[in-house]
Amino acid sequence: MAGAWWRGGEVAQVTVLPGAARIQAGDGETVLRAALRSGFRYRWGCKRGGCGVCKVRLVVGEVRYERPIAANVLTETERAAGICLSCRAVPVTDLIIELQEGDRLQGASLRGGNSAGP
Amino acid sequence: MGVMRLGFVHLRVTDLEEARNHYSNTLGMHVVAEEPGKLHLKCWDEWDHHSLVLEEGGVGLVKLGYKCQTGEDLERFEQRAQRFGATTGRVSKGENLAVGDGVRIALPSEHVIELYTDMEFSGTETGSLNPEAWPRTMRGAGTNWIDHALCPAEDPALVERFFMECLDFRPAERAVTDPAHPELIGTWMFCGESPHDIAFIKGPNGKLHHFAFHLGDWSDILRAGDIFSMDDVSIDVGPTRHGITRGTTIYFFDPAGNRNEVFAGGYRTGPDFPTITWTEDQLGKGIFYITRELNDRFTTVFT
Repeated sequence: MAGAWWRGGEVAQVTVLPGAARIQAGDGETVLRAALRSGFRYRWGCKRGGCGVCKVRLVVGEVRYERPIAANVLTETERAAGICLSCRAVPVTDLIIELQEGDRLQGASLRGGNSAGP
Repeated sequence: MGVMRLGFVHLRVTDLEEARNHYSNTLGMHVVAEEPGKLHLKCWDEWDHHSLVLEEGGVGLVKLGYKCQTGEDLERFEQRAQRFGATTGRVSKGENLAVGDGVRIALPSEHVIELYTDMEFSGTETGSLNPEAWPRTMRGAGTNWIDHALCPAEDPALVERFFMECLDFRPAERAVTDPAHPELIGTWMFCGESPHDIAFIKGPNGKLHHFAFHLGDWSDILRAGDIFSMDDVSIDVGPTRHGITRGTTIYFFDPAGNRNEVFAGGYRTGPDFPTITWTEDQLGKGIFYITRELNDRFTTVFT
């Protein structure tokens, strides 16, 4: 559950609110990629960290970013408030994330999703 | 006389090396000059020194450069812009690598454009003497040239009026809410005979929606799609056709999240082109002709 530490090769569990669906993220896998690969969808944009549309609130847990993020896409204030850019955020621990108001997790009709990989 | 075309796009990217790979290997541009934190690139069928400046740090547009025919054009446009109430400034030769003197204008939409007449000539890759049809060493999608840009604006009508009154652009196509009480929500404007050289849709000031590369035809677009898959490019929409311009297209994102387009087809405009109008209820058909559905990202994803 939340707070469990994991090293490379193991899986991080990401719980998505609202709804509490559980997604497994693989080694180095971003939150968005894990969701899409698992057959789920929520609101995303460029999938490359430039537009900010995929921001979610990190309720519990830690993430890291392996690429530079533009300061105006994810501000220091937002980071401090627990907002994360889900297309670039890689779980460091198990996570609980909350989607933006009005957004909800949807399942794609086929396992693996019918949208292009992130 | 007047503005000829979009001459260069100056773009911010979070990772310069990833951007170099995308614009050169995937899209086929060549790097023609490097400075610390900055790359200059051009497409094979462009004859000026460069058409894209990539600057490391952040995302989105720094400015758009529009090439004009004469110095008198620059003076006239500068005066008109000042009378309109826009902030202008002078750009000195060399401030932009390989570009001569110019006029900088802050648009009502908070975008910056620079008008200039001179850029160092370096020729197309196929040359001007008994040329081949395309370069044998063409890489990736082999884009021909940078064609246009689309930017969001809080007040599309105001920035449309600026381009018409100050720079002699005309709208080829416009999107309005309700024909009975029309509010302008999109305008696609030309200065030569292209379908458009700049466009604005309702959205936040100062941002970039996309800039577009020209390709020859549908088969080039489809081939580009295959290249994008091979290179793990993030795809937005397509391959499909636009109702606006009739052009065939793929929208996709560079590694920093800036939206690009490859675009083929369209029609010929000109000073007497009859402006086309789209109503908001048909905008799905206007943007994505085949599915006739607007996708959420088109109106919300900007850098």
